[in-house]
Amino acid sequence: MSRANSATWLRQQRWAWPTWPARGLARSLPWLLPLALFTTWAVGAQQGWVSPQVLPAPAYVYDTLKDLAISGDLWANTSASLQRVLLGYALGTSLGLVLGGLMGLSRAAEAYLLPSFNALVQIPVLGWLPFALLLFGIGEPLKYALIAHAALVPVTLGTLQAFRQAPVKWLEVGRAYGFSRRQLVTGVVLPAALPTLFTALRLGFTKAWLSLVVVELVASSEGLGYLIVYGRQLFQLDLVMAAVVVVGAIGYLIDRGFDALERRLGAWRPV
Amino acid sequence: MQANSLVLDHVSKHFTQPNNGAALQVLDDIALNIAPGEFISIVGASGCGKSTLLRLILGLESEFEGQILLGGRAIRGTGLERGIVFQDHRLFPWLNVRDNIAVGLKNSPLASAAKQQVVREHLALVGLERFAEAYPHQISGGMAQRVAIARGLVNRPSVLLLDEPFGALDALTRARLQNELQRIWAQENITMVLVTHDVEEAVFLGDRVVVMQPNPGRIKRIVDVGLPHPRQRSDARLVALRDDVLGDFLDA
Repeated sequence: MSRANSATWLRQQRWAWPTWPARGLARSLPWLLPLALFTTWAVGAQQGWVSPQVLPAPAYVYDTLKDLAISGDLWANTSASLQRVLLGYALGTSLGLVLGGLMGLSRAAEAYLLPSFNALVQIPVLGWLPFALLLFGIGEPLKYALIAHAALVPVTLGTLQAFRQAPVKWLEVGRAYGFSRRQLVTGVVLPAALPTLFTALRLGFTKAWLSLVVVELVASSEGLGYLIVYGRQLFQLDLVMAAVVVVGAIGYLIDRGFDALERRLGAWRPV
Repeated sequence: MQANSLVLDHVSKHFTQPNNGAALQVLDDIALNIAPGEFISIVGASGCGKSTLLRLILGLESEFEGQILLGGRAIRGTGLERGIVFQDHRLFPWLNVRDNIAVGLKNSPLASAAKQQVVREHLALVGLERFAEAYPHQISGGMAQRVAIARGLVNRPSVLLLDEPFGALDALTRARLQNELQRIWAQENITMVLVTHDVEEAVFLGDRVVVMQPNPGRIKRIVDVGLPHPRQRSDARLVALRDDVLGDFLDA
């Protein structure tokens, strides 16, 4: 067997994901990894691989979660976090849409703004924090500003890209049928931009949600991030884990919601 | 009807090359009188400027020498009296078939009820009534091109421009759509200008076939087909003409 042939043979023999014939099994595939992780956690806690103060058992975390729910702490902190993220996200997204739309539709605006924007976005949220603390104080405006900043970046760049890529071939169709500039924007550029725009909004939310926790870690007296800090300070890792689970679950659910909405709005797109 | 004749009055076109700023001539002194209701085929190898010529007539590009007159008036920009069918159907993927046809009517003076009626008529004209609600990705390439033809005709333009409209289709679909285009042309009684690199298609459909050659793009000769429509593909006279025109390209 020649070298080339043996290479081909190797490629054909490469390890592949196992395929099961049953469709029901295929649907359960996404659950395998989480299940394995959970099992490792449960077994590890039970066998005492790590001290129980550091890694509380799942049952203990569940009890803590239940206590939080019953006492009302869970709702109070979750709603505080949701309020912050919604307002910050709304702020950042609105500004991002305007900024990105402006740069996407006008080359001049892009020339003025984009280089500065690109330089500023290289600075992480935490880098701004000392400055933002002095500027906004430690209260709510600080959180809104930093969450807005987190959403602003992907939304602005996504919007810019979405408007930029309006295909010439469709614009020419519009021009051939006498579309005005406004009609070209509303009838061609905007609908063509929608899928990319939606991805940007979704990514913006993920960023906002992530930075929410960071901001609450730094300075807050309520919220899911605060629960995490509080749990750490009291060395109650069960509280930390409970808050982490809630943060993950809410983020996941909202992302699913975006996904469902995108499917409904994008019925015209081949899957 | 003289009002709708299309006259290309010594049209030349230069592009400025972006790298060195030098002018590149793509069309050289194109002179052609197209009678109202005539079917003109423009055939040539790629790079002979035939698509550029169509874009000039459509009004997408306004910088050229000479004049293009429609009904005795020089064209300025695009206009609803000139419809277009591109090679890639260029339907808007976010609109269904009915709304895609209605795109042509966006700036038409018709009332909305009349627009709906006209769209229905054109759905029927291309035989796609049952697919009015379908989105472009749900229909075949041939069907999409029929929608594009309906969109091009929906304003009842005096000229329909076709830029290699069947070039991306398989041979069987192409033959079927050529027959359909012939029927529509006879029914609608409008001028059609078809740009193609398919000599058989050019001869089969055209009253006259304009043969172009490249560097710079210019008319080599104009062939009168002189056979009545509807035509049969196997007609010996058509076959002879096809071979004659093909000879122009094989010699070169």
